[in-house]
Amino acid sequence: MSSFEKVGDGYSLDLTLDEAHILINLVEQLLELLGEGDFFHHYDSSDPLAQLLVMPSEIVTPDDPVLLRLLPNAYADPEAASDFRRYTEPQLRGSKQKNLRLVREELTILVDENHGGVIEELNADVWLKALNDLRIALSVRLEVTEDSFEKFELLPDEDSQKPVYAVYFWLGWLQENLLGLLL
Amino acid sequence: MAKTAIKEEVSISELIDRPWITIVWDDPVNLMTYVTHVFIKLFGFSKERAHELMMQVHVEGRAVVTSGTREEMERDVQSLHENGLWATLQRDDKI
Repeated sequence: MSSFEKVGDGYSLDLTLDEAHILINLVEQLLELLGEGDFFHHYDSSDPLAQLLVMPSEIVTPDDPVLLRLLPNAYADPEAASDFRRYTEPQLRGSKQKNLRLVREELTILVDENHGGVIEELNADVWLKALNDLRIALSVRLEVTEDSFEKFELLPDEDSQKPVYAVYFWLGWLQENLLGLLL
Repeated sequence: MAKTAIKEEVSISELIDRPWITIVWDDPVNLMTYVTHVFIKLFGFSKERAHELMMQVHVEGRAVVTSGTREEMERDVQSLHENGLWATLQRDDKI
């Protein structure tokens, strides 16, 4: 079973090739959903050129429930929420994309070389946030509730959701493992 | 930690001057240890204080984690969203 380890001042993660494939697949799906190829690809809020080109009027509350959970409303009041979103969502989206891209970069090395192995000196904060966003995305699709683990255990093996649940709980285990080293 | 003491002691006059609060809402996804970790990281809370607030979110469904000016609370909410927590800001309705 893969796990994070504390090595000196840093952290490493030992993954099998299968695990690296599962992770990179999820990371790429979430990047796709966040709109990797679109305008916000290289958005950096401190870049005056990016600020110049952003069209706040085009930024609206997402329809997709995964995006709405990852990029939530900051106010209960719809008008205040959409005003806030117009000026802050690109940065929020960008920070999530940045974490996912970094994780993807580290996974790509393993996947390209077609073997499992250790990712050395990884950024624990970036990994925690990326793992968390992946779990959130899966949880929305699975409609996870407090008693989902019991539900998962009762699912027959042939149920198409069973492997998705398994990945969801595995990600939780990984995240807990890294948190155990940090806290 | 001096920073923690300042953050935790919100005086009445401060509440009147700066009547905005950041609320974190419960969800079935975020791990309890992760929520605690984020509170410590973002707000400099002690481990005990962070744990207490996390439990309040978990048990009561929500907790007020910070209070201050509207701009400060908008920054806090944005940081919480960057870390995947579900947070909103509003005027403190106790006043």
